[in-house]
Amino acid sequence: MQLQFEKVTKSFGDLNVIEAFDNTIADGEIVALVGPSGCGKSTLLHMVAGLQQATGGSVRAAGQPVEKPAPERTLVFQEHALYPWMTLEENVALALEFQDQPAKEARAKARQWLSRVKLGGFEGYYPHQVSGGMRQRCALARAFIARPKVLLLDEPFGALDALTRMTLQSVLKELIEEERPTVVLVTHDVDEALYLADRVLVFSQRPARVLKEFTLGHIPKTHDLTAFADIRCEVLALLGIDTKDDPGTESPIPNKGVTA
Amino acid sequence: MSTSTTTGVASKRAYVLAIAFILFFWQVAAWFLPSFLMPDVHVALGRLWQELGSIEFYAGLGNSMGRLGAGYGAALVAGVVLGLVGGTLSAVRSPLKAAIIILQSIPSIAWVPLFLILMGFGNMPIIVVVAVGAFFPTALSVMNATESVERVHIDAARVMGASRLQMLKRIYFPAVTPELITGAQLAFGNAWRALISAEMIVGFSAGLGKSLAYSGEIADMTGVMTNILVIAVLAAVIDQVLLERVKHRLLRYQYL
Repeated sequence: MQLQFEKVTKSFGDLNVIEAFDNTIADGEIVALVGPSGCGKSTLLHMVAGLQQATGGSVRAAGQPVEKPAPERTLVFQEHALYPWMTLEENVALALEFQDQPAKEARAKARQWLSRVKLGGFEGYYPHQVSGGMRQRCALARAFIARPKVLLLDEPFGALDALTRMTLQSVLKELIEEERPTVVLVTHDVDEALYLADRVLVFSQRPARVLKEFTLGHIPKTHDLTAFADIRCEVLALLGIDTKDDPGTESPIPNKGVTA
Repeated sequence: MSTSTTTGVASKRAYVLAIAFILFFWQVAAWFLPSFLMPDVHVALGRLWQELGSIEFYAGLGNSMGRLGAGYGAALVAGVVLGLVGGTLSAVRSPLKAAIIILQSIPSIAWVPLFLILMGFGNMPIIVVVAVGAFFPTALSVMNATESVERVHIDAARVMGASRLQMLKRIYFPAVTPELITGAQLAFGNAWRALISAEMIVGFSAGLGKSLAYSGEIADMTGVMTNILVIAVLAAVIDQVLLERVKHRLLRYQYL
């Protein structure tokens, strides 16, 4: 499903969060949004999900303006989005039950999806009984079970330790390859963006504007990102992290208004 | 979980200790006062044993429990519905909450004359007074809990395409259940006090409150103490055994 942003603006009172964001995300494309925290990336994602409305401009999914949430555009949250009073199986099945599928079928499919994310045997566990990594595997199963055309990920692995995060990134990549939804990923982790995305948009501080766009293309990738070292340095520099060990030159912290 | 079983044992021990303490002070008072003013503990227990064998006792108990069940049950249902509605509709939330806080400060028993005249002499005024006493803490706890349901839990359900009804049933209701149970236990205390006092005043057909009031009128102090004993024991059993059990059942996931 193609996503179009036309002069999307969002403000909360006097606070401008996003200013005239223009972009088109092709059907099946995987796009990562990186930028400083609080810059409005998540707001952008919530607007695609239909949870928030743009103050100006328009967000379109397959040509239709996004007005409210729909199961074909699903969102994976950072954490705590599983329901603590439901088992992992019930949590995953809920996505289908909300679409009025019979409970029995939904449960059976939920079990299949849990085993696809390697959670077979944990169906009856409650979220607080399993690790953070397992909770996010479950959250992925819950997102994919509804066969979304657009998958929105809001710092999905932000709360996990580095090693678990890399494992989950591989799980996610595999699922994306098999299901091929259009993906928009918001992340702080530059390596995560490079590993998963076909295209990376680097945002400025609030109000969010695109500083630079990197097109990697849909190519096979591993966690060995040495081939992308130059892009990685450039992205980090845009985010204000100096990667060149040269005390003489300090890379300036990017300011608003700089676009490439 | 081991901590919950140890606290369970500790609270049981605390209860045994507290009961022994209360009975001891009663007995001390009985030693100092003449027996027509304060009966010995064993005399009251003997009367209780005798009562437990009489049909009248069970008829009165049945009446009281019926009124409690009807009033408390209605209050729980109304409290949950209004609490959920009030908690989700921000337009009515603040005025509704203010109204509840004002009305809550009126002792339930103060409504008796009004309801007695409105509804006539019978079960109804007692049931309504019980319901009024139980309704406010239930509605208030559900409303507060509904307001503080985690944003991400609501957003996740919206993204999955939940309808308004599904949202209430599958998300809001289970999310507020812990607070609802706390509110329901508070409400039970109110309902129980309202029941006994209303029965004492209204005195319509047999019941625990009427039996207590009657014993007082004929200066049967053994009867008075026996009735108080029954009232205390029943309240403790319902609250600590019945409601606690319901709580563990409904919040099973928290105790794993």
